[in-house]
Amino acid sequence: MKTRKMMVLYVMAALVLSSVVTAQYVGPDEQDYDKMLSEKYKGKSYSPYAARDFPNEILWGDSHLHTGISFDAGASGCILMPEQAYRFAKGEEVESSYGIPVKLSRPLDWLAVTDHTDNMGFMTDLIAGKPEILATKQGKDWYDRFQTASKDEKPAIAYEIIKALMVTKTFPLEIYYGANTAGYKSTWQGTVAAAEKHNDPGTFTALIGYEWTSTGNGDNLHRNVLYRDNGDKALKMMPYTTVAPLGSLDPMDLWNWMGEYEAKTGGQVLALAHNGNLSNGWMFPVDAQYTGREVDKKYVETRMRWEPLYEITQIKGDGEAHPLLSPSDEFADYETWDFGNIVPGNMVIAKEDQMLAREYAREALKNGLMLEQKFGTNPYKIGFMGATDSHTGLATAQEDNFFGKHSGYEPDPQRMNHLFMKSTRGTMMSWGQVASGLGAVWAKENTREAIFDAMKRKEVYGTTGSRIRVRFFGGWDYTDADLQSREPAFAGYQKGVPMGGDLTTPAGSSAPTFMVYALRDVIGGNLDRIQIIKGWLDKNGKTHERVYDVAVSDGRKIDKNGRCKKSVGNTVDVKTASFTNTIGASELAAVWKDPDFDPKQKAFYYARVIEIPTPRWTTIDAFRLGISIPKNVPVSTQERAYTSPIWYTP
Amino acid sequence: MRSQKAERIVNVVLALLFIFPAVPTAFASDIGSPATEVLEGLYPGKAYSPYAKRNFPSHVYWGDSHLHTGLSLDAGLFGNILGPDEAWRFARGEEVRSSTGLPVKLARPLDWMILTDHSDMMGIAIDIQTGTPNILKNPKGKEWHEGFKKGGKAAGEAAFDLIQNFAQMTVPEEIVMAYSPGSEVYNGIWNQIIDAAEKYNEPGRFTAFIGFEWTSVPKGFNLHRNVILREDASYARQVTPLTTLPPTGSTDPLVLYQWLEDYQTKTGGSAFAFSHNGNLSNGWMFPTQKTYHGGTVDENYVKLRAKWEPHYEITQIKGDGEAHPYLSPDDEFADYENWDVGNLDISELKKPEMLKGEYAREALKMGLALEAKFGVNPYKFGFGGATDSHTSLATAEEDNFFGKSVSVEPSASRINHPFIKNDMGEIPGHLLVASGYTGVWATENTRAAIFDAIKRRETYGTTGPRIGVRFFGGWDYTEDDLRNRAPAFIGYEKGVPMGGDLLPANGKDAPTFMVYSLRDPIGANLDRIQIIKGWLDNKGKTHERVYDVAVSDGRKIDENSRCKTPVGNTVDLEAANWTNTIGASELMSVWTDPDFDPSQRAFYYARVLEIPTPRWVLYDKVRLGAKIPAESELVGQERAYTSPIWYTP
Repeated sequence: MKTRKMMVLYVMAALVLSSVVTAQYVGPDEQDYDKMLSEKYKGKSYSPYAARDFPNEILWGDSHLHTGISFDAGASGCILMPEQAYRFAKGEEVESSYGIPVKLSRPLDWLAVTDHTDNMGFMTDLIAGKPEILATKQGKDWYDRFQTASKDEKPAIAYEIIKALMVTKTFPLEIYYGANTAGYKSTWQGTVAAAEKHNDPGTFTALIGYEWTSTGNGDNLHRNVLYRDNGDKALKMMPYTTVAPLGSLDPMDLWNWMGEYEAKTGGQVLALAHNGNLSNGWMFPVDAQYTGREVDKKYVETRMRWEPLYEITQIKGDGEAHPLLSPSDEFADYETWDFGNIVPGNMVIAKEDQMLAREYAREALKNGLMLEQKFGTNPYKIGFMGATDSHTGLATAQEDNFFGKHSGYEPDPQRMNHLFMKSTRGTMMSWGQVASGLGAVWAKENTREAIFDAMKRKEVYGTTGSRIRVRFFGGWDYTDADLQSREPAFAGYQKGVPMGGDLTTPAGSSAPTFMVYALRDVIGGNLDRIQIIKGWLDKNGKTHERVYDVAVSDGRKIDKNGRCKKSVGNTVDVKTASFTNTIGASELAAVWKDPDFDPKQKAFYYARVIEIPTPRWTTIDAFRLGISIPKNVPVSTQERAYTSPIWYTP
Repeated sequence: MRSQKAERIVNVVLALLFIFPAVPTAFASDIGSPATEVLEGLYPGKAYSPYAKRNFPSHVYWGDSHLHTGLSLDAGLFGNILGPDEAWRFARGEEVRSSTGLPVKLARPLDWMILTDHSDMMGIAIDIQTGTPNILKNPKGKEWHEGFKKGGKAAGEAAFDLIQNFAQMTVPEEIVMAYSPGSEVYNGIWNQIIDAAEKYNEPGRFTAFIGFEWTSVPKGFNLHRNVILREDASYARQVTPLTTLPPTGSTDPLVLYQWLEDYQTKTGGSAFAFSHNGNLSNGWMFPTQKTYHGGTVDENYVKLRAKWEPHYEITQIKGDGEAHPYLSPDDEFADYENWDVGNLDISELKKPEMLKGEYAREALKMGLALEAKFGVNPYKFGFGGATDSHTSLATAEEDNFFGKSVSVEPSASRINHPFIKNDMGEIPGHLLVASGYTGVWATENTRAAIFDAIKRRETYGTTGPRIGVRFFGGWDYTEDDLRNRAPAFIGYEKGVPMGGDLLPANGKDAPTFMVYSLRDPIGANLDRIQIIKGWLDNKGKTHERVYDVAVSDGRKIDENSRCKTPVGNTVDLEAANWTNTIGASELMSVWTDPDFDPSQRAFYYARVLEIPTPRWVLYDKVRLGAKIPAESELVGQERAYTSPIWYTP
């Protein structure tokens, strides 16, 4: 055993090393783990990622996606259902409705399937040959022809069905899927069941939701309704439609439905409006509501109660700002759609300039201050989300992976050249579709509850498709030293409020300070700049806005007016649809103090982060499909992120 | 507005319909199979969606291939009370309490891990602390346990007594035997390890490998190997880990190879081993003539080593093992976190002539020479990084470093604890390295896919940051191949990825390499990408050369393929912070070997350097008010080492 002893001894010596270190055996008491930390360090434990008591994860998602269940999506050829939509969002490869393999660059963390509630499920059931539909002569005829039609012929039949409703009014009402029909109910049960199946707390959240599609006279007043709850509650009431007597076109009625839902189930819901740009002045009313009633105390209070967020950017145009409203903002004209509303057919009711002030988010924020002055409540105290509004079942928002507005516009050499809409203001071709956007949620964990709660407190932001990471805090004491760390969120939450929050009485300081920092999308373009956009209400009741550059790349200077007029440059190579990150910054950060602060004036502040130019999806199509880019199409785009605002209220 | 029902429906549908194409020409084309012919030209993707239809490894999965829990004898004795359960939960991204009570969490979850407890005396220390029946049955065991239970001073005394008894070999025989293979207790512990891996393995999301460390350390010369099993519990239960203690164990690697062979034969499964810390082997890790155990480096040895060790742990907590300045005097980045005092217990000091048997780059070079001699290259391995933490906490990031053992978990004084100190010398505490992780290019996150990727060497090691690196070798890469955001399509089409063998030249003059790198998304920018070449000349002599192939901030690469201008340094020593105002968020290059001789064996690997960032000691200074010894390095340039690509005439 001598050998054995020797061996053991060597092993022990080597494993245990020298035996000098034993006194450390007993660690500090559990309560004392933060007492060892110095004043300089803002973390709660030595490990900066542990013991965080603030939202620490960015969860990327899409709050607005249609599947073949939506009447228009189904009619356009979408055959993907919520099942495929969720699998795709979770990062799986699927085949698009027309058989093209497609996969996200990275999985999403959450998704809300929000099919149109009106006539919900009809197209799916027609295609599936549901007996009730086949029992009618017209239904049987459509079905039979769908069965034998080639892929090229199907859309013509779909169009005929729509014409029956729109023009000839021969659509059989007995097979219309109203909210009290069995077909509607089973469709909703299927939607909820898919969400229940794919909801995986901690990994992926499937939010239950729907779109309430009010579009009287073609004016877009659409809202998505999102549930905090699980299927048991969501199934207790059928989702709201726009068709009387069960439904209504009036948002007040939708909010009433939401109130009833909460009262009946003990659950929670919220609504996000979108595409004010297609509302012809009715999205953010100031004097008169769409119904003709005046904007009164009840309206502002109810709206504020149910609509904490707005979908600021999506496939049908970016809704932050318009150049006519913000003439000194050279980045305001971004993927603007201002031809008119969305009356069907291609000829829409034209936009008038005076409508714009009631369509765009920035203007709404400003008008909100004014209405708050008048009624004591700000109806437009909205946080920002981005979403796709895709009607393909595919939440594709990245320029290099864009599958279009609906299945008819899946990638093919012609997809840029269809007439999209026309008004007396001009013509828009399908190249105008925007590969946008995504919603970012700052939450503590990936669950329905945590995501919904973050939305309610507006700790969210929207991007036009890139996964730019942004933190934005407002307070009275931020200093540059707070950025001297890789974890400025500690100081951020300690000294102030995050995006979506409120600043009130100054604590002896002269002006509010804002800490903002942004990291580029890991696989995307570098950053050009961070801007802070301020809006305020002066003592004469007039609103104002101003754009400040607070951090810019490549050593450019910010002038005494708080602006950097020098462009970041452009590395886009159109021929190969590529770019290089040789300009711009991988990250930008700033602590900024409002130089023009008046403590008596209501104000809001939000951050806009702008990427360097990268190829637009149309440039990518041209390269991949070997086609030319139509005239007047911008070849590059500067993707961006819009944080929810922080409000100052005296 | 509210009139006829039918009209309302019409309105709704009008609205829903939202811009139906007037002339549905979109449907007229065959969009199911568009433009295959157009796609053949420039666009390298296999479908319109560049993320679909990829037939190559598209994800890098981050993991730690070397972690100890309280089941390891030394870890347990040093106070590690966390078992496999906590280790797995922590690796998966959950917050846990360290053994000293500190809340700790990874910045980002890992994708996989191999739990590698020392097979010798596995489980004994933690059983004494928890007081298992077999320990309490023995009077001495009971005494130690009660000491631990009291805590405070008594616990410290118990631990000290335990270590003394181990060192003096006066631990009761029945306790020693119980913690050796063949005993019921030992089997129980092995089963516990297996069960925990099974519990946390979740295909597609997290891979938990079953493994162990075979801790051969004759006379303090580190010949350690980790063993990884590709399979699940049903295979692992058919064996017990190999130990080093006779009569069942051995310190000879040839015995380990036999154990691996036996595992494969018996179970039909797959396994391999990988070594680490050649730097503490005093020249015995990569022998060229004689082996430590009295054998010779002959055909049998090189064949077995090549077969069973496709991977090397190039960087970890006890020193970086890529290169040494003595061996690579022209490489100004070679002197990185080197430990060259002596062997593991400093019972013998280092002599310069030992170094060539210790470092990875030199081993690669000697491998070429041995291959010329025997026809097989024993040192044809890929690279990985690992922590070798004994805290159950796979912490490799400078700003979240929980040390080598529980005794040096974060505290203001930990920096003063030497790793080892005796009459011969000292390895002071500030030399501990917050390193490393392994990036694995695999098609999915499963045991099979990751095991296979490590085996085919499609991996790279980093000193902690999650730097993204692709590295391809072929004969036809051109600058144009980099003009897209997914160069991997072309990478795999025209050549081989890291770990591969260059295809025959087919008349081409010189090999080309495509390399690109993305910084860690939450980490530091990049300073440069280098390609390191080693070759064997016609006289049987080995050589090496470092080429800068991409550098940041518009610096120039000179005619000798070097950039001697440093990237700069933004580290704020008072705040333990840096800014990404220097360096690049990504770098890339297509590089052609300017000195290629088709008759000479060669290898090429890429090294990616970050800009300078604070070492862990600076975080201790700021967070804990620790006094940092004057001789401690405060700043480092973290890096990634890709597996090589070999050229064989």
